[in-house]
Amino acid sequence: MKKIDWTDKLDTGITVIDRQHRRIVDYINRLYEAHAQGSTRAETGHIIDELVDYTQTHFAFEETMLEDVDYDLLARHKEDHRQFIAQVDDLRQRFRQHEETAVDLNHLMVGWLLNHILNEDSRYAPVVMQEH
Amino acid sequence: MAKFVWSDQLNIGIDVIDQQHRRIVEYINQLDDARSNGMSREEAAWLLNDLVDYTISHFGFEESLQEEAGYPFLTSHKKVHELFTKRIAEFQARAERGEDVTKALNSLLVTWLFNHIKRDDNDYVESVQTYLQQKQDFVERKKGLFARLFG
Repeated sequence: MKKIDWTDKLDTGITVIDRQHRRIVDYINRLYEAHAQGSTRAETGHIIDELVDYTQTHFAFEETMLEDVDYDLLARHKEDHRQFIAQVDDLRQRFRQHEETAVDLNHLMVGWLLNHILNEDSRYAPVVMQEH
Repeated sequence: MAKFVWSDQLNIGIDVIDQQHRRIVEYINQLDDARSNGMSREEAAWLLNDLVDYTISHFGFEESLQEEAGYPFLTSHKKVHELFTKRIAEFQARAERGEDVTKALNSLLVTWLFNHIKRDDNDYVESVQTYLQQKQDFVERKKGLFARLFG
């Protein structure tokens, strides 16, 4: 399991988005703590559900924001979200069926999120800030 | 299920909105009590309808405030409200079919509301506060349309 320490370079500069990203990071770190403390499957499962749930809400917010500014890479950005959720959902289903996928899920979340924020979200930030 | 205890960190600093959020929290707790007090399914369904009805009015009020104030992320904020409303409607439909959804529903309501107030709502405070200082009649003007919130 991995943790994420928030650093300024993860800030896109759009406050509402940064708050949402930090919240996703909180959930990832809670999953890490739960694992380190040997929490029950039910507790871990609950954190996973909240993490996935919150991430989906964040994607909806972000995609709507990008539609609003006619972001030219919107289709690709949405597709990234969709593929990621499909992978996460697969691991979550397997966790529910008693497979040990919590660590894989944590690794996927950490790797994907950092890469996505730094390489994809940072790209739209100037466009959104200019429009608003 | 844990009670949703209101704490000051949930105040966004706009009185009329804070009052509405507190009312929603009361509804959530009433619904939770209903379960432990063995309230009938009909009564619980009635209470859930009230909660939904109030929350939808609150969303409408909040969106209209954001719109008039020119909050730049209104469309995204609305989208999040809309998705949440749909999910709650699914719970209502399941409850009507006789499923016991109270526990999962309580968990969604508490988690969602907390996250939404702390992040999404806090983001519009600046634009809206400036607007409300200029347009002090806003609340009065909306009382007719959103009577449900001011009963």
